[in-house]
Amino acid sequence: MKFNSSGYLVKEGLKNIWNNRMMSLASVIVLVSCLIITGAAILVSVNVNSLISNIGEDNQIKVFLDYEMSDIDAIKLGAVIKKIDNVEECVYYPKDEAIKEYKERLDNLYESLQGEKNPLGNAYKVRLKDLSDYKNTIEEIEAIEGVSSVSDRGEIARTLTKLNYFVSIVGFWVVLILGVVTLFIISNTIKMTMYSRRFEISIMKSVGATNTFIRIPFIIEAMAIGLISGAIASTVLITAYNPIKDTAGQVIALISTSAIPLSSIWVNIVSGFCGAGILIGALGGYISITKYLRKEGGDIIGW
Amino acid sequence: MIHMKNVSKIYSNGTEALKNVSIDIEPGEFVFIVGASGAGKSTFLKLLIHEETATFGKIKVNGYNLTKIKKHDVPYLRRTMGIVFQDFRLIEKMNVYDNIAFAMRAIGAPEKLVKKRVKYVIAVVGLQGKEKRRPSELSGGEQQRVSLARALVNNPEMIIADEPTGNIDPEMSFEIMQRLADINKNGTTVIIVTHELDLVRSFGGRVIKIEGGAVTEDKVIPSSIETNTDKTDSVNDLENEEKSGNDEEVSE
Repeated sequence: MKFNSSGYLVKEGLKNIWNNRMMSLASVIVLVSCLIITGAAILVSVNVNSLISNIGEDNQIKVFLDYEMSDIDAIKLGAVIKKIDNVEECVYYPKDEAIKEYKERLDNLYESLQGEKNPLGNAYKVRLKDLSDYKNTIEEIEAIEGVSSVSDRGEIARTLTKLNYFVSIVGFWVVLILGVVTLFIISNTIKMTMYSRRFEISIMKSVGATNTFIRIPFIIEAMAIGLISGAIASTVLITAYNPIKDTAGQVIALISTSAIPLSSIWVNIVSGFCGAGILIGALGGYISITKYLRKEGGDIIGW
Repeated sequence: MIHMKNVSKIYSNGTEALKNVSIDIEPGEFVFIVGASGAGKSTFLKLLIHEETATFGKIKVNGYNLTKIKKHDVPYLRRTMGIVFQDFRLIEKMNVYDNIAFAMRAIGAPEKLVKKRVKYVIAVVGLQGKEKRRPSELSGGEQQRVSLARALVNNPEMIIADEPTGNIDPEMSFEIMQRLADINKNGTTVIIVTHELDLVRSFGGRVIKIEGGAVTEDKVIPSSIETNTDKTDSVNDLENEEKSGNDEEVSE
């Protein structure tokens, strides 16, 4: 193919969209729907991950030490905790600092609970690397001599891990199934276009057009349908993102703080959607036209 | 130009369309392929453009060995020939100019060259002033001239015309044949498949008769227009053959 043909091929591809406008419109509608559902699944998954990571950051378990433990033994114990594989961070949390957190609630009593009279024990704030291994890590910490108790937030960790797993699995299948559906739709549109242009294709073949040259306008048509659909779907999602986020935030307060702000993902949404649309279009168009040219397109009608 | 040696074509349903055909056509020849319907003429053309492959034998066309030709070379083989169809095969949504230009655009010709060549071939076939007309606004003869212009526009070495006068009136038929003869005089090989033996007699040339898949006659007859002589024996033979061909068609 010569470079000077590219303008002609692009023009032909775009002309096809208009010539088959009803079919193109139907494809765009179905594609937009598929992309919105796929995109929504991805956005939910991404936001749940963000929520988990947010909670994970707060999810510092507290390891309380024996009340009588000396400061030196406490430091040694801290070193043992740090050596555990799943421990990301281990920060000493002395009882004098802990009591300060209760200052407002204790009011007048606060002064009387200083020093020796402080009922709290020294502790370590420990952050874990992998919440799914929460249970084993807690058991390992509890087994260390000198550890009095560990604050148990295992249920939250387990629920979030399950939710993340569920969203990932569902998201994967949604993307896969809708991807196949989308591919099917777009290749059918191209098939219709080819059917309506089979006469022209036969003439092109008779004058010596190469298969590549015949393919290109159809692939461009499919890519353009994909691009248009991607642009519409991303616009819809971007418009709907903040209102949905705000509504969800009113139900679960944590969402409003952990949800990914639109400003940091809109570029990804637009480029991802348009890219996916173009890619699916190119693939669907290529499959369709190649199949046609292999099976029927070699014939010069009527002979 | 065309070299066929012991070519046979057997279709998957068992039909033996061509039997041991050997033909050589040299550059610049003006050749008629005649024969009744179902004689194997279409298969002969399909083999030339490599729409079908020979079951046995060797075929060489315009420097391409069709026995060994690679799939990606087939378009380039076809660019060496222009095809004129009986039913014109014009695209209704395109005007005359675009129908002709389509053949050049389809092989990636630059637009500048397209403009130049299309203008030239429109003049060659005498369609000046009708560039903007749609095929349905033209007579049968004019439509065939558009088809001829489209076949010519890529400057092929050979023109293959499949019953070019089959759908047009006798006067226009003569004109189309005249244009094909003129094209041939300029050095282009012309192969015409036809039933119309009157035209064959008028223009003369090499006449290859295919019957039941085999070449039964291969001879050169003079042009009656140029010589203005009485019908030759050969022409009389063709006339008889036409009658017998028609009888065969009726009996089919």
